[in-house]
Amino acid sequence: MIDTQLLISGVLFGLSLGSIFFLMAVGLSLVFGLMRVISLDQLLYYSLGGYVTYSISVTTGNFWLGALGGMAAGAIAGLAAERLVYLRIYERDITFTMITSFGILIGGVGVIKYFWGLVPLPVAVPIDVQIDVLGPEIPVYRLIIVGLSGLVYGGIWMFLNRTIVGKAMRAAIENVEHVEGLGINIYRLFAIAFTIAGGLSGLAGGLYAPLIMVDPQMGLDVLAFVFMIVIIGGLGSIKGTLVSSFLVGQVVSLGTLVYAPMAQMAPFAIMLLILLVKPTGLYGSPLLKR
Amino acid sequence: MSVLRWWWGLLLAFAILALGRVFLPLPFANEIVLFSIYAMGCNFLLGRVGFISFGQPAYLAVGAYGTAFYLFYFGSNPYVGILCGIVAGIVISLAVGALFVRLRKDYFALVNLALAVIVYYLMQKVLAGITYGDNGLWFLTSIASTPVLDLSRPDQFFIFAFLVAFAIFAFYKYIDDSIFGACCLATKINEDKLTFLGYSNFSIRLVAFVIANPTTALAGAMYAVYLGFVSPEITSAARTPEPVIVTILGGVGTLYGPIVGSLVYIGMKDLISKFVGNWELIIGFGLVLIMLAGEKGIWGTIEPLLKKAFSCALRRPLPRTLGGRSDD
Repeated sequence: MIDTQLLISGVLFGLSLGSIFFLMAVGLSLVFGLMRVISLDQLLYYSLGGYVTYSISVTTGNFWLGALGGMAAGAIAGLAAERLVYLRIYERDITFTMITSFGILIGGVGVIKYFWGLVPLPVAVPIDVQIDVLGPEIPVYRLIIVGLSGLVYGGIWMFLNRTIVGKAMRAAIENVEHVEGLGINIYRLFAIAFTIAGGLSGLAGGLYAPLIMVDPQMGLDVLAFVFMIVIIGGLGSIKGTLVSSFLVGQVVSLGTLVYAPMAQMAPFAIMLLILLVKPTGLYGSPLLKR
Repeated sequence: MSVLRWWWGLLLAFAILALGRVFLPLPFANEIVLFSIYAMGCNFLLGRVGFISFGQPAYLAVGAYGTAFYLFYFGSNPYVGILCGIVAGIVISLAVGALFVRLRKDYFALVNLALAVIVYYLMQKVLAGITYGDNGLWFLTSIASTPVLDLSRPDQFFIFAFLVAFAIFAFYKYIDDSIFGACCLATKINEDKLTFLGYSNFSIRLVAFVIANPTTALAGAMYAVYLGFVSPEITSAARTPEPVIVTILGGVGTLYGPIVGSLVYIGMKDLISKFVGNWELIIGFGLVLIMLAGEKGIWGTIEPLLKKAFSCALRRPLPRTLGGRSDD
């Protein structure tokens, strides 16, 4: 049996991984729920966030400023993509918006390669203190990531349940025509949702950058996991995304302890099982059809 | 006469392709023929059944590895190897098909993408003992020469690939004309109506899935024989959009779309990569522009114009009774 020390550090590692996944996937899920667009370009804002974090933290020496800059860059890029491209193709079939977003993703990777080059770049870890959690030493930085993603979940919950814009957004997820009929400008809602999603993806990239190297393909590396999370949780459900990202995070992290090569495969097996039982994912509603 | 009418489009297209062999360098011509077979499966799924699949490289890799395992470990006959690749493709389509075709369109796309990445990890890490991980399997020297069409020589390989592509396209044209093809189109457009007519959406989609993906696996098997090596790279995430891009570029659901798309895509890639390092930038934003301009693609735009031009030239002298039936 695995010893307790390893298990505890594995669980905490999985929590931090799940937090990153959650920040990435929540944007995808929100955008799908509201606009029925599978926005693969969120993965671009993730890499962009990582790179902007790198540049700012190298020039100013402050990582947190860099992460904030990455978040802003992701948000601006998301807003720009929404205004320039998506606004013209909302009425189209879902497959076409998906292909367009893949085009943005691939083109954006080309832009990143043009500006930052092909070589993976390291970002310094802002806090390398380790603390004792029930035995094993855990890097504080990972705990901060978990805390931040908890804050983000709380923030999104507050936004969707307590503000008028958020309430309109939840109503639009249920039925967009009725919301439009109430005189609410749904295109403004769409722009807000895209900005939030892009910003969160950028933040995820910025926060994850010190733990990996930033390289142009980093978005494509997490692609499979983000999709599994969104599928398992159910497209368009924030709560489902939260549950499934921590599930996948734990499976990857604890799977590595048991048998490393299988860790990448285990989430897929879980996804197949869940889809067999419930083809719309854990929390996806069967009514989501337009 | 009607036999010729059915075949002439195909014959013309492949005559032009054969002519291309004279003017174009051989690797380029080979690449185009292989890629058009590859894109055909995706074209059928997207254009006829309405399923977008970002995971075609998964089936490509399965076909390629089916061939590679045979040629590396067991035998040396490339034809048997290709057959192994097709069988592997059929097996995987049957295994995952029943599960996948139940899903909604958006989930279908994502699940296929996940499958592609899983096959990548499977070949790169989990089965590294027999696939040699990132190094790949090299078996170019162990491909035996066969008396009639020697597949180990690129020029004869082209003839073989050309014939296979012709057969595949004729097969898909036949499907388009059959009742099954009409059912596929109907399940794309209105599945409820098809249910009322007494057909099962599930079985039509499953059969279409099991037709389309072994085609992709066949392309993978032929790639393996042509290149003489296989590595997990062919199913990496960066390559997943390629068949979809080619399909869209050529024109979704049109018969000749894959050929036109492969020609333009591979030509662009070759040309652009000669001048600028990152072709991804141009391909990506080019794709966005194509999507914004309309979704018909190159062949989808040209075809009506050509048809109009031809019908003006051909149909006018004919009496109305002969020219009455419109023919694609």
